[in-house]
Amino acid sequence: MKKFEFDSILKKARIPEPPAEFWEDFPGQVARQLNRPPKSEPERLPRRNWFSWLAWGLGTAMCIVLAFIAGHWRGRMEASRPQDILANPKLVHETLAMFPNQVRAIVEDHSGLRLVLSDGGTLPPSPPLYVRICDGKECSSFVTFSGQEIQVAGRQMTVLADTHGGIILTGNDFVWASDQKIASVNGMYIEARNLGLAAL
Amino acid sequence: MVPPPDEPMWIEKSLAGDGVAFAALVKEYQKMVVALAFRMTGSLSDAEDLAQETFLRAFRQLGSFRAESKFSTWLCQIAINLSLNWRTREGRRGEVHSQWAENALTDSSSGFPDELSRRVQMALDKLPAKQRAAIVLTVYENRSHAEAAELLNCTEATVSWRVFAARQKLKRLLKGVGA
Repeated sequence: MKKFEFDSILKKARIPEPPAEFWEDFPGQVARQLNRPPKSEPERLPRRNWFSWLAWGLGTAMCIVLAFIAGHWRGRMEASRPQDILANPKLVHETLAMFPNQVRAIVEDHSGLRLVLSDGGTLPPSPPLYVRICDGKECSSFVTFSGQEIQVAGRQMTVLADTHGGIILTGNDFVWASDQKIASVNGMYIEARNLGLAAL
Repeated sequence: MVPPPDEPMWIEKSLAGDGVAFAALVKEYQKMVVALAFRMTGSLSDAEDLAQETFLRAFRQLGSFRAESKFSTWLCQIAINLSLNWRTREGRRGEVHSQWAENALTDSSSGFPDELSRRVQMALDKLPAKQRAAIVLTVYENRSHAEAAELLNCTEATVSWRVFAARQKLKRLLKGVGA
């Protein structure tokens, strides 16, 4: 379905029509609200004795501990959740086609999908490279191009492709190459493949 | 939307505290604001409340309105921001509310003029709030991506991305509709 055909379906959708009296009364209702006096200041609460302060303190401390445990548990759950949106070549292809030679990277991490565009000028065309990095706590994956510097999981790294289709990642404290058959480096599990335009 | 010729006068009088002049502005834009709020919330009663809140805020902040932009655009910005905050607020109410909202939309007596309208609104309601806002502004309010970016306080590329992602999801959700 073409874009304008789809838009016309969306535009055909109408909202439920409020009764005619609503439209007549509404401006008057707003005007009445404008004339209302501002809300008075809430009355000052009576002073609490030391016992109630202690109870509040203990309650707050308990809430913080529970929130910490819940956050830690949620973080672990999210780290173990599979992320494979970028493994979908169709989505990658459509995204790259929308911003030809402008996409530096499409990143998927704990905060969701992000598109990183070049600040100025166009990028030289090259095959897209898929990289997935897990550091024990969480996994991030991204699609980028040879020569791009990317910030992932708090690490700055440069992604390079060699003439045989291999992928090399270099950071401040590591070098990883796809042809070394070593998946783990510096506590990070790395997986990379050259998506290649033909594969799309 | 072409502004009425009396609009600058209504704004000037409203700035001086004239409630009648402001009521004329409300009358002019009430349908636009209610429709936008409805697309964002999926509930007519919430849309009516949001529309009221939008106009009250507009009246209080009228001094910050700059005449270089259209009044309708400025109003639209207030309504969309309140709708996005409403989403966050409602999101905290949890599963019970979302189930209720879905039931309300599924209910055949929910007031939709036809089946297509109901299905489209159900699909819109399943989008993340920011993607929904991008679709509402670009498709229903006919704003360009640049205008929508200004209203949503983000870059044009972000709006394009949100519209793209929203379209993909809507196409899946509305498969077979309008065929």
